[in-house]
Amino acid sequence: MNTDFINICLADDDEDDRLFFTDAFDELKINTKVSTFNDGVELMDFLHHPDSILPNVLFLDLNMPKKNGQECLLEIKKDEKFNDIAVAIYSTSSSEEDIELTFINGANIYIKKPNDFERLKKILSEVVTLNWQYHTSGLNKDNFLMRM
Amino acid sequence: MKIHLKFDYAQLTKKIIQEKLTDLGYKFNIIGFGEFNFLEKVPLAKMEELTAIFNEYGIDIVENQKSVLVQKIKDAIVEMVHTDKALNIKSSVYIAEKLNLNYTYLSNVFSEVTYTSIENFIIIQKIELAKNLMIKTALNLTEISIQLNYSSVAHLSTQFKNTTGMTPSAFQKIIQKRREVAQKNN
Amino acid sequence: MRYIQLHKSPLFLKIIFIISIAIIFFIGGVTFKHITVLKKSSDFVSKSHDVNTELERLISFVKDAETGQRGYLLTRDESFLKPYLESKNAVKKSFNKVSKLTENSRAQQANLKKLLFYINKRQNYLSKSIYLTEDKNYDKNELAKNLVIGRKTMDSIRSQIEEMMITEKVLLNYRQQEYISTMNYTPLLIYLTLIVTLLLITIAFIKMNRDLVLLKKTINTLTVANEASNLAEIVGGFGSWQYNLDKQTFTFSDNEYRLLGCEPQSFIASSESFYKFVHPDDVNYVRENSINIQSEVNLAPFTYRIIRKDGEIRYFRALGRVVTVSSGERTYIGTTSDVTAEVEAKQMIELRNRDLESSNKELMAFNYIASHDLQEPLRKIETFLSRLVTKDYSNLSQSGQQYVSSIQSSAKRMRVLIDDLLQFSRTNKGEKIFEKTDLNIVLSNVLQELAPTIEDKKALITSDVLPTFDAIPFQIQQLFTNLISNSLKYSKENSAVEIKITATTCTAENEENIPDTIIGSNLYYKIVFQDNGIGFDQEYASKIFILFNRLHNKNEYSGTGIGLAICKKIVENHRGFIIANAIVNEGARFTVYFPVVS
Repeated sequence: MNTDFINICLADDDEDDRLFFTDAFDELKINTKVSTFNDGVELMDFLHHPDSILPNVLFLDLNMPKKNGQECLLEIKKDEKFNDIAVAIYSTSSSEEDIELTFINGANIYIKKPNDFERLKKILSEVVTLNWQYHTSGLNKDNFLMRM
Repeated sequence: MKIHLKFDYAQLTKKIIQEKLTDLGYKFNIIGFGEFNFLEKVPLAKMEELTAIFNEYGIDIVENQKSVLVQKIKDAIVEMVHTDKALNIKSSVYIAEKLNLNYTYLSNVFSEVTYTSIENFIIIQKIELAKNLMIKTALNLTEISIQLNYSSVAHLSTQFKNTTGMTPSAFQKIIQKRREVAQKNN
Repeated sequence: MRYIQLHKSPLFLKIIFIISIAIIFFIGGVTFKHITVLKKSSDFVSKSHDVNTELERLISFVKDAETGQRGYLLTRDESFLKPYLESKNAVKKSFNKVSKLTENSRAQQANLKKLLFYINKRQNYLSKSIYLTEDKNYDKNELAKNLVIGRKTMDSIRSQIEEMMITEKVLLNYRQQEYISTMNYTPLLIYLTLIVTLLLITIAFIKMNRDLVLLKKTINTLTVANEASNLAEIVGGFGSWQYNLDKQTFTFSDNEYRLLGCEPQSFIASSESFYKFVHPDDVNYVRENSINIQSEVNLAPFTYRIIRKDGEIRYFRALGRVVTVSSGERTYIGTTSDVTAEVEAKQMIELRNRDLESSNKELMAFNYIASHDLQEPLRKIETFLSRLVTKDYSNLSQSGQQYVSSIQSSAKRMRVLIDDLLQFSRTNKGEKIFEKTDLNIVLSNVLQELAPTIEDKKALITSDVLPTFDAIPFQIQQLFTNLISNSLKYSKENSAVEIKITATTCTAENEENIPDTIIGSNLYYKIVFQDNGIGFDQEYASKIFILFNRLHNKNEYSGTGIGLAICKKIVENHRGFIIANAIVNEGARFTVYFPVVS
């Protein structure tokens, strides 16, 4: 872990949110490489590109132009080569229906965007470490469900 | 058709490593889970090749002593939770005794390397076990809480919620619905 | 049915009539024959009488001649010869008369011949006597002899006439006998005819009378019904019309005219005169619909516009049907109702519905913006604030720091409000999918959800076995969460929290909390949440369910006053009721009723 990068991707159309996100990882003392995308189409183009290094954790905003988070999620879960990517939904919505649906569709984590930067940092750190635990400590990834 | 597999990751990894190393003609002995001792010196180039091969299986070669120690702590915790779950002694005492080291020291090393505490890791493991029991057995939450040494169902529920952000029943519901969707698609 | 009705059918009456006529004819014929016989008899009697009279006269004429001859013989007075000579003619005349009267009787004719012989003989002797005496010296013996023969002949005549009279009398007697016998049963026949006729007339009268009474009754009923229908038409604002398909004639009811804004029967009813009133745009539509009746028996109701005489546009609805009366005539009957008020009301409702719908949509959109989209900027304000606080707090002046923390607390409160509002709007909108919901599972989910607080407060929650019914699971869970967390929140500081949940089934009539508008026998699940918290004044019991209504200062207890409003909304979504009872410092009791749907 201390020698490797954790690859993180975020697809969010909101510039401020992307900024908070990258800033949070910058301030966290975890070796991460964060790539951000403005919408779902941009993200999926990247993921499908053969030269791309697939992320360990992918953060998806639900409400995006062109291709929304749910569509990206379904597309990712359909493709076996993305099996190792942990998908975290990163949304403003706290609707129970939204949350349940994304989990059923295969999301591992659901994050309601926090309203406090410190809280954001804490959440992101927890997600990354927990994901790491699943990755390294022989935990059943099918059971990896988390809501924050 | 859907088959549920249950497997021992430790056993699996051990077997893969044994086979690979033997194939490559290395002499080695197994000290414990995740720890090997090469009986002869391995050149750097060979070591990189080995790293690449093991990486394919998601196995990292950990050279750092601290990492080794953390791995040992993890092994101890997994064993404690999964095997000796009915144990009544405090986890800190259990781990310290198992590794024969000072618990404060272990705790510091663990946090330094993994960014989480030993306590947190124990909770993750316990909740993970609870999840498995919920999915694979017919035990209800009360029975699970007893089996996992929780003082009450509420305690388990609280810890489950704190760890996963959802209630045990919400978790169960999602897993069940996922299966239904998968069955429909097949 | 037909069998029972036979005696009332017109055919039956016709048969009876024909039979009666035949009987009367028959009896009449028989009577006529009898009367003819009677007349003949009567004629005969008078003829016999005439014969007798004429015979009497005949003999008297003969006597007259004899008397005259005798007178002449005695007196030689020529004046006595005159009746003698006249009587000769009179006898001849009289004899002819008798002969004519008796021409039908052979016996009398034979007698007459003898009589003629005697009369001629007598007259011969009379003239012989007169001749003898012409000579002054006549032979007295000869004369006497003549006179004797004359007298003898006279006797013969007399006896002959007598005989004829007797014969006539015998004949008369015979006729009389016949006459009497005919007379005997003629009255019987006449009487019989009379009786039968009387009987038939009586039957006819009774029948006619009965029919008449029935007719009168029917007419009365019809008049009343007609009047009632007229009244109904006026009250109900509809008119009726009839179209005889065979005779092609129209009839409009009075109110039909009134509906068109005209005086009753002020113009001749016809389809064309009606179409004049139909709105030009609708004429073809009405025609098409009316034509359809030819192929179908029922005219499906349809609505069209008319322009009344005074120019007002009204909406009419037509409904028609073809009826076939027993005579086989087909009549197309129908009603026209003025549905203007209805149509206008419907249009108004539709308009209002649309308004309501759009305002509802606007409200929902507003709610969504207020609660959902506002989250976004608020979240950013808070996040930036948090960054400001962590990075640059120390660089701010003391008042600046004060301002920042004030902004933070305001933003926090705003977030709570927005979150609650969002939750409230969610209970309003969204698909309300009812599914079989086990409330025990819902409760266990809620307890898991609230586990941290329950543990924290060391709360003891006990519950009866709860029912299972069709509900919206998410909402019921929300309801339970709100009620239990309410109890946990408003608990007394120094005592363990106890929440008791009980469940029973009750009928509406036994629960004073269920309004009287509900049918008394309706079953309800009654679920009671009783706590031992700080309670509240019963005075506020109904107020607490109103949106944004709070009983406590926001500094004492956090909250937005939305939680219980959501509860009420949820219960109402399930067609139930929620009631609060409380005693200050002893606890609160929330009672929820859900209808039992069988």
